[in-house]
Amino acid sequence: MMRMPIRLMAHLVAGYPTDAIALAAAKGLVEGGVAYLEIQLPFSDPSADGKAIQSACAHTLARNYKLSDGFGFITRLHAAYPSVPLFIMTYGNLAFRLGIDEFVRRAQAAGASGLIIPDLPFDTDEGLAQACLRYGLTSVPVAAPSMTDTRLAQLKNTHPQFIYAALRAGITGKSTDIDQGTLDFLGRLGSSSKILGGFGIREGTQAQALAPHVHAVVAGSVFVELISSHAAAGADAVRLAVRRKVEELRAIT
Amino acid sequence: MAKTTNNTTSLNTQQPDEQGFFGAYGGAFLPPQLVKIMQDITEAYNKIKVDPEFIAELDHLNQTYTGRPSPVYYAKRLSEAVGGAQIYFKREDLNHTGAHKINHCLGEALLAKKMGKKKVIAETGAGQHGVALATAAALLGLECDIYMGEIDVAKQNPNVRRMQVLGAKVIPVTRGTKTLKDAVDAAFEAYLADPVTTMYAIGSVVGPHPFPMMVRDFQSVVGREAREQFIAMTGKLPDHVMACVGGGSNAIGLFSGFLDDADVKIIGVEPGGRGPANGDNAATMTYGTPGKIHGFACYLLQDAAGEPLPVYSIASGLDYPGVGPQHCYLKDIKRVEYVVATDRDALTAFYNLSRLEGLIPALESAHAVGYAIRLAAKLPKDSTILVNLSGRGDKDMDYVLEHYPLEAYESQPMLVK
Repeated sequence: MMRMPIRLMAHLVAGYPTDAIALAAAKGLVEGGVAYLEIQLPFSDPSADGKAIQSACAHTLARNYKLSDGFGFITRLHAAYPSVPLFIMTYGNLAFRLGIDEFVRRAQAAGASGLIIPDLPFDTDEGLAQACLRYGLTSVPVAAPSMTDTRLAQLKNTHPQFIYAALRAGITGKSTDIDQGTLDFLGRLGSSSKILGGFGIREGTQAQALAPHVHAVVAGSVFVELISSHAAAGADAVRLAVRRKVEELRAIT
Repeated sequence: MAKTTNNTTSLNTQQPDEQGFFGAYGGAFLPPQLVKIMQDITEAYNKIKVDPEFIAELDHLNQTYTGRPSPVYYAKRLSEAVGGAQIYFKREDLNHTGAHKINHCLGEALLAKKMGKKKVIAETGAGQHGVALATAAALLGLECDIYMGEIDVAKQNPNVRRMQVLGAKVIPVTRGTKTLKDAVDAAFEAYLADPVTTMYAIGSVVGPHPFPMMVRDFQSVVGREAREQFIAMTGKLPDHVMACVGGGSNAIGLFSGFLDDADVKIIGVEPGGRGPANGDNAATMTYGTPGKIHGFACYLLQDAAGEPLPVYSIASGLDYPGVGPQHCYLKDIKRVEYVVATDRDALTAFYNLSRLEGLIPALESAHAVGYAIRLAAKLPKDSTILVNLSGRGDKDMDYVLEHYPLEAYESQPMLVK
C-alpha cells in the first residue's frame, strides 16, 4: 500500500549561525519537502526552549542580531519559497515592546502566514489574536497535556485554525515517547483544528508513531543541532544534513 | 502630621486579582506547559494561608528561630547630625541570617514541606536569598539546590561556603551573562524538569503568579510589626516610610503595613548605580518601560526591540532588570514615589550609619539610608522617617574597603548630600 509521506513543520532560528547558513538549512528543509517552516526570532530569555535552541538564540543575539534582521531574514525566505507557509515563533516581550499591532503588521509584510508566541496564553494574549485577524494571519495557540478540560474547552472555543501541541511536560529538546497519555491528550484536542504536534521529535520512528494522530509533526532542536554540528563544514554540508534528516522524519527512503 | 487610621481594609488583601494582576502588571505569561504547575502552587498556597496550623507554625518559627519581632530603633545621633527629620529603622538586619530574606524563605520552605516536596530550588545573586533558603531547608529537613551565576560564585565566596556548610548544593550557571538573570532561567529549568518532588522558592516579589503575592504576604509581617511598634513608640504614624527596591521584597513587606494610611508618604529607593545611562544602573521604574520578563509584566530595563538590558548596581541584591509588579502598580497610581540613590550615596550612607550609630548596613539597605538622609535634611525636626534596614553589611565589607577605602571617607567624612 502506498503511504503518504509525513507532513512536517521544521523549526529554525533566524540568522543562526549566520544568515547564509540558515538560508542553506532552509533550502535543505524545503528540498526535503517540509510542509511548514517555523522561524524563531531570537530572544534572550526563551522560557519554552531547551539548551540547543537557547544557545542558538544567544549566539545569534551576541552577533548583534536585531528584530529588523529577523524580519529581513523571513522576507528573503518567503521570497525564495513563496509556496511554503511560514510561521514566526518568538516571545511576547518582543511583540509587546514594538506594539502587538505593529509586530503583526511587520510579520505580514515579511510574508509570514502565522505567529506562535508561547508565553502569550490565548486568554491573556494582549490582543494578539485580534491583530492577527486584522492582518489576515493565523495566531497559533499552544496547548499542553497539563491543561485542564475547562481551559482546553475555552481554547477550542476560540476556533483556532491550528493548535500547537506541546507534547512533553517541560521544554524542547529531549526525546518524546508516544505513550497513551500523549494519545489521550491529542484526543482531547479534537479534530476541528489542525494539530501541530511536537517537542522532542528527533527520529523517524518517533515521527511515524506520531504522524497518524496529528496534522503535522513538528521538529526543531534536532535541526538546530544538525546546523551547529555541520556549520564548520560549510553551507552545502548543512543543507545536505538537514535534507537527509527531513527525509528520515518524513519516512521517504 | 500623619494620623493613625484603621488598618483592616487593605490593598493587600484586594490584590492581586485571580490571574495575579496588579493593574496591568504581574500575571503569568508562561508557555502552557508551565501554567498548571503555577496553578498547583497557587492552589496549595491559597489553602494553606488560611490554615491556622500553618499560620501558628510560621509564627512560632518567626519568633523562636528568626527572632521576630525585630525592633524599631530611633537613630538619634544620625538624626542630630542631619539636623532635620527624625530617622527610625526597622531592624530587619537583626533577623537570623542577617536580612529580611528569611521571612519568605521560611514561608516558602514550610509550604514546600506541607505540599510533600522533597527539595527546594532557587536562584541567588549575592547569595543572601540562597543562604536564607539553605537555612530554612536545613531547619525543615529539605534538600536545597541553589543556582548562582558563575561570576557571582566567584565574587561571593563566603556566601557560597555558607550555603554548602548548610547542606545546600550550589550550582554555578555558565550561560548568558553568568549572573542573576541567567540563574533565574537555570533554576526555573531545573524546576520544570521535576515539578512534582521539588518546589521553586523564588527570591523576591517577582516571577509569575503566585510568587509576587506569596512572597509579599510572607514579608508583610515587617510592615504589620513596624506600624504597631512605631505607634507605640511615638504615638503616631511616621510621616515617611522608605525602603530600597531591587525586586522589591523588603520594600513591599514594609509598605504593605502603611498602604491604607493615606497620610503616610511612601518612598521606594532604586539603585541609581553610576548614573542614568543604559547599563549603568538597575533603576527599573525610574528609567524603564513596561515589558515582560520571567513570566510576568512589569517595568523593565529593555532596549528598543524588547531585549532586557544589562543592569548594574554596587549592591548585587538590587541588580535585576525587572521589578515586582505591585511596585509598578503603586507607582502608576502614585501611591508610592520611586526615586534613585547612586552607588556614591549608598557608600557614603554605609559609612555614615556605621560611624554615627554603630550599624553597618548592607549596601542594598544603604541606598534607602542614603535617600533618607538627603530627605531628612530638608524636613522639619518634628517630622519622622521610618527606613527598612533590610540587612546587615558584613557581606559587603571587603568590597567596600577595596573600592571606597576608609582613608577616602575619613579625609572627607560628609553626610549624603
